[in-house]
Amino acid sequence: MNRNRIVIDVQDVVKTYEERRIHALNGATLQIREGEFVAITGPSGCGKSTLLHLIAALDRPDSGRIIVNGVDLAQMRDLSLYRSHQVGLVFQLHNLLPTLSASANVQLPMYEAELSFWERRAKAQRLLEAVGLGRRANTPPTKLSGGERQRVAIARALANDPPILLADEPTGNLDSKAGQMVLDLLRSIQEERGVTLVLVSHDLQIAAGAQRIVRMLDGQVVDEGVAPSATAWEAVEGER
Amino acid sequence: MPFFMLILRNLLRQRVRTLLTAFGISLGITTVVALGVVTGSFKATAQQVLRAGGSDFAIGQAGSADLTYSTVTEEQLQAVADYEGVEHATGVLMAVSRLGSNPYFIQLGIDPKDLAYFQVPLVDGRYLAPDGPNEILLGQEAASQLDKKVGDAVELKGRIFQVVGIYRTGDVWEDGGGMLPLATMQEYERKPGLMTLIYVKAKRGADLDALTAQIEEDHPELATLRTLSDYGDVDQGLQLMDAANLAISFLAVFIGGIGVMNTMVMSVMERTREFGILRAVGWRPRRVLQMVLGESILLCLIGAVIGSILAVIFTRLILIFPVVRSFLEPEYTPEVFIRGLVVGVAVALLGALYPAVRAVRLSPIQAIRYE
Repeated sequence: MNRNRIVIDVQDVVKTYEERRIHALNGATLQIREGEFVAITGPSGCGKSTLLHLIAALDRPDSGRIIVNGVDLAQMRDLSLYRSHQVGLVFQLHNLLPTLSASANVQLPMYEAELSFWERRAKAQRLLEAVGLGRRANTPPTKLSGGERQRVAIARALANDPPILLADEPTGNLDSKAGQMVLDLLRSIQEERGVTLVLVSHDLQIAAGAQRIVRMLDGQVVDEGVAPSATAWEAVEGER
Repeated sequence: MPFFMLILRNLLRQRVRTLLTAFGISLGITTVVALGVVTGSFKATAQQVLRAGGSDFAIGQAGSADLTYSTVTEEQLQAVADYEGVEHATGVLMAVSRLGSNPYFIQLGIDPKDLAYFQVPLVDGRYLAPDGPNEILLGQEAASQLDKKVGDAVELKGRIFQVVGIYRTGDVWEDGGGMLPLATMQEYERKPGLMTLIYVKAKRGADLDALTAQIEEDHPELATLRTLSDYGDVDQGLQLMDAANLAISFLAVFIGGIGVMNTMVMSVMERTREFGILRAVGWRPRRVLQMVLGESILLCLIGAVIGSILAVIFTRLILIFPVVRSFLEPEYTPEVFIRGLVVGVAVALLGALYPAVRAVRLSPIQAIRYE
């Protein structure tokens, strides 16, 4: 792993909605290095989730470029392959399929990998064990707690061993204890697997756990730097 | 979880809707398969008619709309009998009229002398006597239905006939009917000197192609009948049934397709968010397409299986009517069931095309945000 190599390069990205009446991103620019843990924070509506979704190739920018591992997403022919193998995505609402078991949910991205049924099942079991849910593999999400669901969602995001993990307010719907557990899990995955972790959160305490914090406002990156303690950030926010 | 199980599970989510849709499809398939079975049975019966009495081929009046309207004369019978390759020609008059509870009792008028050449295996009694104008031979099925045995009397066309023998040929239309002296039938049918068909037994080693071609060349008013396609020259009933079968198959595909489309559109709309998630975790459009089409095909195959079973039950049930039993024996050929499956798959593809395309064209992020 080369910690100086830029894996995500967002260049002057603009994204609008409703016939350009709403500017979600207004020339956002950001670079993220390999193996880095970056938190994107900012007030509601600042464009942080939109930016994450564009990096995840769930949507396309109006202008600007997003280059991941040296490849411009706009030039990429198979975005499905990118989504299944290059990035793992964790949503605020876990977005698990309620009719499937935890294991079946984790296996979903693996259908696009050349894995047999048995390999898929075994790998899902390993991932669920890694997030502490090995014994709940056959349980449907409806019978899991909020924190457990989010851990299943993290296991699903890791299904095809992507080098980049994108988490959109992963603790937003959880109580503080479950939220801390999920955050610890993401951090340990980032450290152990060496993945690049990009986490979007409006919660400064959550963001404070990152190696670098990027602050957004009105669709632009306005500030970034090495994460200070949460207390220091709160003080800064208070002064503003 | 195997991909197939994922498809099956999706169908089982809405069990009632799946079952009702499958049942709706099955009704169309039932019609297609049952009609196919009945048409196939009529074709088998037609084939038997052409080879009755162990003959090599039959001859009728060319261009008849219906076999019973075919008319051949005694002169034509004699002319056919005079051909070098012909061992024996038997003239038969056919008629259908009520006998007892059977409104479609098939009667064959045959010269008693010809019974020596016309293979009619007796199971009881004797053949018609040359001087017995009021004698009748009954097929085994007819005798059973009428509860008649040798020595009993039956009333036909206002006349009393004595049952002198009971035969069994194995052909359902013959065994469900009876044989009478040709002269008697010509009299009560008011067709003096006329017959319906000539059955020809060729000499051993005779070239049947050359013989039939020669007869048709010499007598363009006659049609030689060896195959089912020849049968169409004297009876268009089978062609009409084939046409009706095809039309109903198309109708079943269309109506079934609308039903399946309704179900699949509802299913895809309800699961818009789910498709967004699947696309977000990297599913290719092709895989989403496979899933939606797979669900539709599986739904229709369930319908096809139920429909085929219902068709078999239905075609067995109609045999409780003696009138049907006397001229129809269901033929369950693989082709009929394959046609049912093909119709089922066609319904599935027609019905799932639009919803599948809709599911594939969804933007992942818009689908995830869909409420």
